Amino acid sequence: MAAVQDGPIEPESEKESKTDALGDGSGNVSGSNTVGGTLSSSPVTASATATPATNTAATGGDEQQTLLMVLQFLKKNKLTESVEVLRREAGLADSVDDTQGSEADGGGQGSAANVSADAGDANSLLSRVAIATAASQSTAASTPAKVGGEDQPDVNVVLSAYSQQGDPALYQAYYSGLKNFIESVLDCHRAELSQLFYPLFVHMYLELVYNNHENEAKAFFEKFSGDQECYYQDDLRVLSGLTKREHMKGNETLLDFRTSKFVLRISRDSYQLLKRHLQERQNNQIWNIIQEHLYIDIFDGMPRSKSQIDSMSGSLAGEAKREANKAKVYFGLLKEPEIDVPLDDEDDDAENEEGKPKKKKPKKDNMGSKSKKQDPNAPQQNRIPLPELKDSDKLDKIMYMKEATKRVRLGPDILPSICFYTFLNAYQSLTAVDFTDDSSLIAGGFADSTVRVWSVTPKKLRRVKSAADLSLIDKESDDVLERIMDEKTASESKVLYGHSGPIYGISFSPDRNYLLSSSEDGTVRLWSLQTFTCLVGYKGHNYPVWDTQFSPHGYYFVSGGHDRVARLWATDHYQPLRIFAGHLADVTCTRFHLNSNYVATGSADRTVRLWDVLNGSCVRIFTGHKGPIHSLAFSPNGKFLASGATDGRVLLWDIGHGLMVGELKGHTDTIYSLKFSRDGEILASGSMDNTVRLWDATKAFDDVETDDFTAATGHIHLPDNSQELLLGTYMTKSTPVIHLHFTRRNLLLAAGAYNSQ
Amino acid sequence: MASPKTVPKDAQVMIQILKDMGITEYEPRVINQMLEFTYRYVTSIIEDAKIYAAHAKKSNVDADDIRLAIQCRMDQSFTSPPPRDFLLEVARQKNITPLPLIKPYSGPRLPPDRYCLTAPNYRLKSLQKKVTPSAGRITVPRLSVGAVTSRPSTPTLGTPSVQTVATKVGTPVSLAGQRFTVQIPSSQASTVKSVQNVLINPSLIGSKNILITTNMVSQNSSNDSSSLKRKHEDDDDYDTL
Repeated sequence: MAAVQDGPIEPESEKESKTDALGDGSGNVSGSNTVGGTLSSSPVTASATATPATNTAATGGDEQQTLLMVLQFLKKNKLTESVEVLRREAGLADSVDDTQGSEADGGGQGSAANVSADAGDANSLLSRVAIATAASQSTAASTPAKVGGEDQPDVNVVLSAYSQQGDPALYQAYYSGLKNFIESVLDCHRAELSQLFYPLFVHMYLELVYNNHENEAKAFFEKFSGDQECYYQDDLRVLSGLTKREHMKGNETLLDFRTSKFVLRISRDSYQLLKRHLQERQNNQIWNIIQEHLYIDIFDGMPRSKSQIDSMSGSLAGEAKREANKAKVYFGLLKEPEIDVPLDDEDDDAENEEGKPKKKKPKKDNMGSKSKKQDPNAPQQNRIPLPELKDSDKLDKIMYMKEATKRVRLGPDILPSICFYTFLNAYQSLTAVDFTDDSSLIAGGFADSTVRVWSVTPKKLRRVKSAADLSLIDKESDDVLERIMDEKTASESKVLYGHSGPIYGISFSPDRNYLLSSSEDGTVRLWSLQTFTCLVGYKGHNYPVWDTQFSPHGYYFVSGGHDRVARLWATDHYQPLRIFAGHLADVTCTRFHLNSNYVATGSADRTVRLWDVLNGSCVRIFTGHKGPIHSLAFSPNGKFLASGATDGRVLLWDIGHGLMVGELKGHTDTIYSLKFSRDGEILASGSMDNTVRLWDATKAFDDVETDDFTAATGHIHLPDNSQELLLGTYMTKSTPVIHLHFTRRNLLLAAGAYNSQ
Repeated sequence: MASPKTVPKDAQVMIQILKDMGITEYEPRVINQMLEFTYRYVTSIIEDAKIYAAHAKKSNVDADDIRLAIQCRMDQSFTSPPPRDFLLEVARQKNITPLPLIKPYSGPRLPPDRYCLTAPNYRLKSLQKKVTPSAGRITVPRLSVGAVTSRPSTPTLGTPSVQTVATKVGTPVSLAGQRFTVQIPSSQASTVKSVQNVLINPSLIGSKNILITTNMVSQNSSNDSSSLKRKHEDDDDYDTL
């Protein structure tokens, strides 16, 4: 539709009628879909001929495309006479059109796009305003439509091209007009409609730049960039550096921004107001842009207040559609395997009888028979394949349970002690830290590409003996596990060399045999902690990998990097098993859920997404942060997720309902580490502002009330109780806190590198 | 460091650029690095553009040449991550296949050896044939750990000794098989008898022998060659030296 605006006069009248028909909303949905569908397929073909079209008698490349698109549309609707007339008048060659026709239908993906468009429920590229129930298949259908253009690299540019919406000099007038309208509207609607400003501004600016109206673009930017919300300042700064069309080409994030829909949630009343206003005036340029680039998720109910909107907005793609958060998520924990806990501390062997665990396990009953009751929110044991427990793992679990009995119960009046590990002489090159679960080892990743492992306990680090020596030892002796270690190599710390770039993510395996490190060189390396050598380098991301983590059950690990995807690997596959694609900017933080069935990723596009390991689909999208997200933590009961970002806020999310349930304000700088205590009562956060803060997690989650309205719309009014929830602020001497870890007895360990300036 | 008043013009421009992009805190060396990069980049672009202009038989370099040069460079050195729809498509294909089942009791779970970094990254050169007849005379073997060649010659031995035991992965019997301890004989073991052990001159360390061996994961099957069977009796041969 938009593309046709400056096409030839003759078919334009048809387009006008279509536009008006669209304005009525649901009535002509299928009609508009066909329009969109064909127009989406025709640019595929149009640009393919754009290059050879130079020798046709067309006046210019763009007009040629428009004409061809119109031709395709007419053909699809079997208006053969009009086709002939247009062809004759425009002087288009017959052969060109025929090849286009075959290309449009021949490409497998292209036909999928056509089919889906005809099916009437697909989201075409030139999407229309949808009422909330439809369009849940939009993301799935749009993928084949877009891929249809993959064969010709030029096509993407055309597909997402900003065609001329009208006179560039009038853009300022359009925008000011909208601004005046919104400012004159009732208060209750104004906050909601103000959400329009930012996406409209960006899209209009990009359109001007794309069509090479540099001066108008600059003027437009200067006039209106100051009006935008403060939390968009970083994006605006990037935009201000973008003045030519060529600048746009290399910027993947911007390209994604252009092609994906910015989602807005507006109440029905406000939406009606807006629509009526924009259609009253004869120039519906803004209306066209809205339809093309925005997705307005309409809900019935009270318009939201400014604070409600502010708390949820801030991400690069607007908010999340409500359907995006409706899938069922199995957030419960897996059943613990039953292990006999011996009453005396001497016995090391575990027998697999029914368990008598001392630690309370709410799902198990101690009646001596296996509990068959399955938590409805927990995934099946075999939903994803998990490695079986080895003897050493069982021993570990027994140790865990013993330690758990000695655990301190924390609470608002019983705060944990904090033990801080400061890395001295790191010269600001400490980039990643991890502790083992039993807190016996620390690993540090540095900007000089080394990984160092330290032993925190008096027990030193030893290498396994060489094979020659190993054959000499007595394999039957009781302490064979000590004998295989080479005493000569005992040392407090070991250095691991191998990476060729700074290490940004580090993770111990739960059984303490392996260490993972991810680096700027694009690889994730697996190191053995028995031989302290590198075992495997997993190549897949070709760009810096910002984070990696082992799954709580071992064997799987996840990594996320600059290529905007997170990958799930298994240690014995050299290629990833799952690719989680969907973020618009780098994936900066990746965490497994405690049941290993879900992966949470935080990204530089300011959203947190929850992915299902089983089929790689995105089951939750959480928006609300105003800066890239650098830390994530799941609560021990699996129900909640906490996220921290560069804006200094910690946001709490209810995974089951997909809602924001809390906001913790207090930090003044990026939050790089978040950890829940072992029983979930306290949330600790460490930040670049050299403090560790403790928050009352039980209270934060207790205050959540979810009635029908909030569940349906996702609008929660957050109480501003950060001050009450803050239990303590602990300052370090100019040492930013990079990592936090609760020991099994609920002692809080923190790590950071001393920053001397 | 130059005081602000005497900072060269280029550096002032660079400082301004950084300020415009919102970067307020940076080490002073950043300016130098940025200037270096700028100079290198611009020079390479202009040189490329000159070549293109010459190719097009133009006397002057004009904007089109520069544009072409920038584009070619961009594709070469500044690659950007794949576009979103490509990623979505790849992800869709990858995510359709079900997760593979995990084999039980298989020791350390690592990819096939080809994809691991556990193979030796050096190879010992085979022993040169000659055996000098004079007993007791030892040429000092050159010790080079990790080097490609090492030529200890052991004249007193008719058959150069060899192997060290390769144990399979997972054999440490009573252990859960996460530890792999092994060694691999060199690939040409079957054909040429080669010395695998590098011997330090005994005079340096007394009469002890130090064996320097490599740690690697062995192949599961194919190394049941005869070379594996040789055991530590070889050590005794060196004791005489």
